[in-house]
Amino acid sequence: MERIKTGIPGLDDMLNGGFLSQSANLVEGAPGTGKTTLGMQFIYNGITQFNQPGLILTFEEFAQQYYGDAANFGWDFRALEKADKLRVIMTSPEVSYSDLGGVDGRIQAMIKEIGAQRILVDSLSHFDRLSDDPVPRRGMLYGFINSLKREGLTSLLTRESSALIGELESPEEDVAFVADSYVMLRYVEIESAVRKALLVLKLRGSDHAKDIRQYEITRNGIEVQAKFEGREGIMSGSPRRMADSFVEAFVRR
Amino acid sequence: MSDSDPNNLSKWNPANPRKHSGLPGTGDLSRRLMDDMDPEVLEFLKTTVNSFIKWDLVIFFFENPHTTDTIDNIARYIGRDAAVIKSDLEDLVRSGVLELHSAGNLTVYSLTKDTQVREKIKHFVSASDDRQFRVKAIYHLIRGTR
Repeated sequence: MERIKTGIPGLDDMLNGGFLSQSANLVEGAPGTGKTTLGMQFIYNGITQFNQPGLILTFEEFAQQYYGDAANFGWDFRALEKADKLRVIMTSPEVSYSDLGGVDGRIQAMIKEIGAQRILVDSLSHFDRLSDDPVPRRGMLYGFINSLKREGLTSLLTRESSALIGELESPEEDVAFVADSYVMLRYVEIESAVRKALLVLKLRGSDHAKDIRQYEITRNGIEVQAKFEGREGIMSGSPRRMADSFVEAFVRR
Repeated sequence: MSDSDPNNLSKWNPANPRKHSGLPGTGDLSRRLMDDMDPEVLEFLKTTVNSFIKWDLVIFFFENPHTTDTIDNIARYIGRDAAVIKSDLEDLVRSGVLELHSAGNLTVYSLTKDTQVREKIKHFVSASDDRQFRVKAIYHLIRGTR
C-alpha cells in the first residue's frame, strides 16, 4: 500500500512509513501542542521533498497568519503559492462542504489547478457549529472527508482538545469514526516541567508504533524524539516513575 | 514640504484660490492633495475603492488572496456587520475586483483571477503603505461621503 511520508523526523517511523495514500488523518491536541505546525510541515515537506502540491483550508486563522508562521520555520509559503504548488484558502466549514459536495466548485478548481495531493484542514472543530445534533454532523463530516478522498487528497485534519494536562478525555466519536488514523498530542508534566508527548492511537489497516514519544517544536518544525523511558501514565498528563508505581502497587498494600 | 503636502494646510487660503484650479474652496485643496498621486492609483481610489469598507475589503482579499466565503463570514473576518458591507461587496463584484460563485445553495465571494486587476490592487495596497498616501486618500474618501 502506497505511503505518504510526512517527512517529519521520527513520525514516519511511528506510522510504519507514513500515512496511507488518500486517507484522512486526524491530529488532536490542546492549544499550543503544535497541530497546525505539524500540518504545515506535512504540506511543506510534501511540496519540497516529494513534489506533491498541497492545499491548506483554514477555518480560523487568516492566510496571512500562515505565511508569517511558516516563515518563522524558514518555509516560504508565498513563494510556493507563486509557483502554483500551494494554496492557502481561508473559508468556512459550510462553504467547503457545499463546494466539494457540488460540481465545479471554487475549491475543487484550485485542487485541480495545482494538482494538489495533500491537504491540511485546520480545524475540524469548526464543523461543530454547523449542527448541535451529532447525527447530521457526522453525516457532514463523513461526506466532507469522502469528498477529499474523491479528489485524491491525503488529508491531515486537526482538532482541538479541551484537556490541557490531566485525564484523557474520550475521543470524539464522530471524528474517530471517519478518520483513518488518529494522532494525539499531549502536554505532560515531568519534574515540574511541561513536555510534549505524541501517540499514534490508530492507523487503519496497518501496524504502527504503540509507544509514546516525546517531541519538540524546534526552529525547523516538529521533531519526534525518543519514547518516555521508565515512566507510565504519560497520557494522563502526570506520569510516574515505574519504580514509584511498583511501590504503590505492591509495597504499600 | 511640498505644496501638495497635507501637513502644509496653513498655506491654503480659500479666500484666494489658485487661478488655474477653477475649483473653489475644498475642491481646490482636494485637487492639490491629489495632484502628485499616481494617476492609476488615484483612478482606482476614485472609481473602485471609494469607501472605507471597500478599502478594508480590498486589503483583506489582497492579504488573503484565496479566500472563498459567504458575506456573513467575510464580514466577521473584517470585523463588520454583514448588512453594512453588502452594498460595498456587490460594488466590488461589479467593478471586477471580486467574483461571485455558488457553492451549493450558498453565494460566495473571492478575489478576481484577472491579473490586470490584481496588479492594480497590488499597486494600490503598496501605495497604501505610505502614510502620506493614506492621509490624502482618507481625505478624499471623507470628502466623498459628504
